[in-house]
Amino acid sequence: MNISKLSWQNLISKPLNTTLSLLLMTFGAGIISLLFLLNNQIEQQLQANLRGVDMVVGSKGSPLQLILSSIYHIDNPTGNIPYREAIKIDNNSLVDLAVPLSFGDSYNGFRIVGTTHHYPELYEMSLNKGRLWSQSLEVVLGSSVAQIHKLKIGDTFYGTHGLIEGGHVHDEYAYEVVGVFNPSYTILDQLILTNTQSVWRVHNHEVIDQGEEYHNGQHHNNDHKHDTEESTVTMLGPSSSVPEDAMITSLLVKFKSPIGLIQLPRKINETTNMQAAVPALEISRLTNLLGFGVQTINTIAFIIIIVSGLSIFISLYNSLKKRRYELSLMRVHGATKWQLVHLVLQEGIILSLIGTIFGLLISRITLLMIPLFAEQKYTFVSFQFYLLNEELWLLPVALLIGVAASLIPIILSYNINIPKTLSNE
Amino acid sequence: MLKSQSINFSYDGTHQFCFPDIQLSKGEELLILGKSGVGKTTLLQILAGLLKPSSGLLEFNGAQLHNLSPKESDRFRGKHIGMVFQSPYFVKNISILDNLLLSLYLSKNNKDKKKAVELLEQVGLGHKINSKPNDLSQGEQQRAAIALAVVKNPSLILADEPTSSLDDVNCKKITSLLKEQAASTKAQLIIITHDQRLKTQFNKSIML
Repeated sequence: MNISKLSWQNLISKPLNTTLSLLLMTFGAGIISLLFLLNNQIEQQLQANLRGVDMVVGSKGSPLQLILSSIYHIDNPTGNIPYREAIKIDNNSLVDLAVPLSFGDSYNGFRIVGTTHHYPELYEMSLNKGRLWSQSLEVVLGSSVAQIHKLKIGDTFYGTHGLIEGGHVHDEYAYEVVGVFNPSYTILDQLILTNTQSVWRVHNHEVIDQGEEYHNGQHHNNDHKHDTEESTVTMLGPSSSVPEDAMITSLLVKFKSPIGLIQLPRKINETTNMQAAVPALEISRLTNLLGFGVQTINTIAFIIIIVSGLSIFISLYNSLKKRRYELSLMRVHGATKWQLVHLVLQEGIILSLIGTIFGLLISRITLLMIPLFAEQKYTFVSFQFYLLNEELWLLPVALLIGVAASLIPIILSYNINIPKTLSNE
Repeated sequence: MLKSQSINFSYDGTHQFCFPDIQLSKGEELLILGKSGVGKTTLLQILAGLLKPSSGLLEFNGAQLHNLSPKESDRFRGKHIGMVFQSPYFVKNISILDNLLLSLYLSKNNKDKKKAVELLEQVGLGHKINSKPNDLSQGEQQRAAIALAVVKNPSLILADEPTSSLDDVNCKKITSLLKEQAASTKAQLIIITHDQRLKTQFNKSIML
């Protein structure tokens, strides 16, 4: 039997008080830690899906909406832009890569996106089965889509108008699955990719299907890209195949150098009817907005931690009042004042530290369980089981609260009047 | 050897307690009798070094107790003095045996578990060593308190009204137990009480 063991015994012998203090501390620390983890996940997801896209060109409207809809596929598109306008951007010498996106249809909530082969290349997608599309109405599925709908190569399905379930079904055109991607832990896992012509065709444009896309990855070695003969045949193929009024939803652009970032967005916004949005800017705006909410919840969680400190204090103070004669007895046995301080302090610190550690564990378990309840399959970029830098300060704060809560009980036990306590029975 | 000389004490500076001189050699027993309010507990606490006398000399086994600093006095008490109180005190969240072991730990004695168990068997609590203090009867608690006071082999045992709440049978038992334990460790025993029943059991007694 020694002071540390006695401290444990005292905690165990008042299970209700101990549990209450632990619970409060666990909640406070758990909420803060969960916020940090979620924040970290969101930031990682945002970055992982960006893939070096420097600019998104789309219809006029909210730039944030344009970014959210075209890069993260979580908002409705702002509108359409004329294909012929968009390809002019691709011809600019500052542009390294331009990927057209056309969407508006979905299959059971998963978006069907008309694009070129550059889109999966940008996300370094690899095929699990089958091949990329080579003609209209052939689709390649993201891994989550294939898994959830149990679709395999050769299966066909109809797209629904609109981005949510329950819209008008385009039942005259069936899509055929020709390939399935490996999981990439990006938004592409949740998309159905096809060529741009498919989207036009389904929406009754008179498209002369070229059978094959004119371009493949080699095109963007750029050696011959800006030959004048070819300047009008970028992205989709010979311009003759493209109807006059063809529209796309947006264009993802990568620049060759940062100069593009300075010149092009401004030029597009000022001289055309289209809008150019810079993802880096919009994302920092978004995280600032989120940051405000995070700050508020953080404050609430911090108040919970303070209340927990208060609960530890009340618990220590009450049990100490009842145990005053016990402490005097220990002094009579030969305990020093510092041994009594140790006894009380250890109780406070054990409660606050164990509460914090529980909190850190529970936040991780919660985060792991989110995908089980989320409607769509949510995949982590990388799951953090170790401590985030932001979480590190939780431990010293917990320690501080443990010490602060024990302070008055410590002073009481340090100054205990042995003869008075023992004769006042 | 315990020697006290013209010890005076005052709580508030107006009311003075003057205590008779005490001289006690090794293995001797002393009964201090007195009515309530004459300063019995005060004297006991002075002897234990819990209170400092306003004046006078207090010597025990060559150490000048009245000259010790509070810290030295704590250490001295822990090592050499065992105390029994009117109502038995324990650390109530741990078993009786653990109470004994805690006392050994705090007084920096060897934690001899076997000896502690033997001692509890001697006072008739061999079957209760793992019970919590509150689970014992009053008589058992008083016996456990004596075991707790003597487990570290003190050279002086101070008992404050150890029998006042006990019936005649238990009173006799507890007194003999105290005497037995003191004799087995050759400790000096001082009992302070108003309990006249003890008078016959002690050769040496003083009135306050």
